[in-house]
Amino acid sequence: EEEKLIQQELSSLKATVSAPTTTLKTMKECMVRLIYCEMLGYDASFGYIHAIKLAQQGNLLEKRVGYLAVSLFLHESHELLLLLVNTVVKDLQSTNLVEVCMALTIVSQIFPREMIPAVLPLIEDKLQHSKEIIRRKAVLALYKFHLIAPNQVQHIHVKFRKALCDRDVGVMAASLHIYLRMIKENSSGYKDLTGSFVTILKQVVGGKLPVDFNYHNVPAPWLQIQLLRILGLLGKDDQRTSELMYDVLDESLRRAELSHNVTYAILFECVHTIYSVYPKSELLEKAAKCIGKFVLSPKINLKYLGLKALTYVVQRDPTLALQHQMTIIECLDHPDPIIKREVNW
Amino acid sequence: GLGGQGVGEDSFRVWERTFCRGSRPRSPRVRMRFMLLFSRQGKLRLQKWYLATSDKERKKMVRELMQVVLARKPKMCSFLEWRDLKVVYKRYASLYFCCAIEGQDNELITLELIHRYVELLDKYFGSVCELDIIFNFEKAYFILDEFLMGGDVQDTSKKSVLKAIEQADLLQEVRARDDEEEEQEE
Repeated sequence: EEEKLIQQELSSLKATVSAPTTTLKTMKECMVRLIYCEMLGYDASFGYIHAIKLAQQGNLLEKRVGYLAVSLFLHESHELLLLLVNTVVKDLQSTNLVEVCMALTIVSQIFPREMIPAVLPLIEDKLQHSKEIIRRKAVLALYKFHLIAPNQVQHIHVKFRKALCDRDVGVMAASLHIYLRMIKENSSGYKDLTGSFVTILKQVVGGKLPVDFNYHNVPAPWLQIQLLRILGLLGKDDQRTSELMYDVLDESLRRAELSHNVTYAILFECVHTIYSVYPKSELLEKAAKCIGKFVLSPKINLKYLGLKALTYVVQRDPTLALQHQMTIIECLDHPDPIIKREVNW
Repeated sequence: GLGGQGVGEDSFRVWERTFCRGSRPRSPRVRMRFMLLFSRQGKLRLQKWYLATSDKERKKMVRELMQVVLARKPKMCSFLEWRDLKVVYKRYASLYFCCAIEGQDNELITLELIHRYVELLDKYFGSVCELDIIFNFEKAYFILDEFLMGGDVQDTSKKSVLKAIEQADLLQEVRARDDEEEEQEE
């Protein structure tokens, strides 16, 4: 009977959204219900165009629902999406910062590739805005562009560097999404930034960020992980670059007090990085001990992660891993038959 | 996918599979495919997709995954392998929060992402419960989009996420009050 109810509701909504006298306020209410119906798996495509209109004509809260509906209803190559561009352009130039934020948010989620040139200059401009939330969202919009059309943002790499050095941590953190991707594609082009990433991580780990960025007393864990991943890529097969990071990796291992789950998440990433970069024996030793603690943990999620790390270690360099493996195995109470087999190489 | 019984079985199976079949390198882009919120009765409360997927395919995947997760026992691992994805899930009271990630990611941090989201909802709604999500699900989406942009976690201060949402709410309130006053004066 859910089907019957929803279909009835949908017919009623269809009538309401098509009626010329419907107020924007009512439209907003309808839109919320349409989102709900689509979530349950029913088709409400008759409402898509009205979502765009709502974003275009509505006041703040109505606009916000309109944009949300668009992000949920449409996909990147939907024809209707082109109709949103004018609204986005208008909102990007609004004096109301909340509207600017909404426009930047929608661009970061869904935007037609071929219309990037229409908004790119406006967004680049926002990189220098006095409000950090605008700068941050502008970086994220550019990240989206980098994902869907990298050659269109090729010319503004210099601006990403500026974002990396932004005085606001949130803006800097946002730029790391772009850097991680670019470094994955071509690490050699960014070796010169290793020092910067190391410095930032040192500051984070050393507790130099505003307390507000703490998550359960751990400083900016997602930021730490991004940096660890970046460093792992930069130091791979490169002794000189790796040497720049041994200190901070060591400190990350030390600082992480095994209290909250998120610390384990960071440690896992740290261990992964240590085993990805040019090997340094003391660090590998410490990392191996760390894995041991994971695998020993009574908490099943941590055991899982420990075994995953163990797998990575073993595959990375079997000869190197063998000596450390013994450390780990010594920690295990009941050696698994698979591990026993492993030891009998 | 893993439907293992015992506490240790999940993890050892992953070890076996990963080790015996050779290494699986980290994919170039680890990304979130989708996030779902659903009740213990299998009622969907929120879904956010980060990769364009047809409605038909979405329905199929959601239905299948809900079944798999709902069948899990309490003491089991919060991570499971399903289709070509890693699923990280956690139950909070009557709601299951479920993330599907591609590639070889750090499942534990994804679990924390879920927790972070719950904390934000809690702070916004003031001790959140399923009803809050049902009746204000668009707000739940706003909050999600603010801290999980395009599937990537924005490590920002908790304050800034909620401030962004509240700003719009507040402006709307002020405007509504102004409208009311205007009407009264007429």
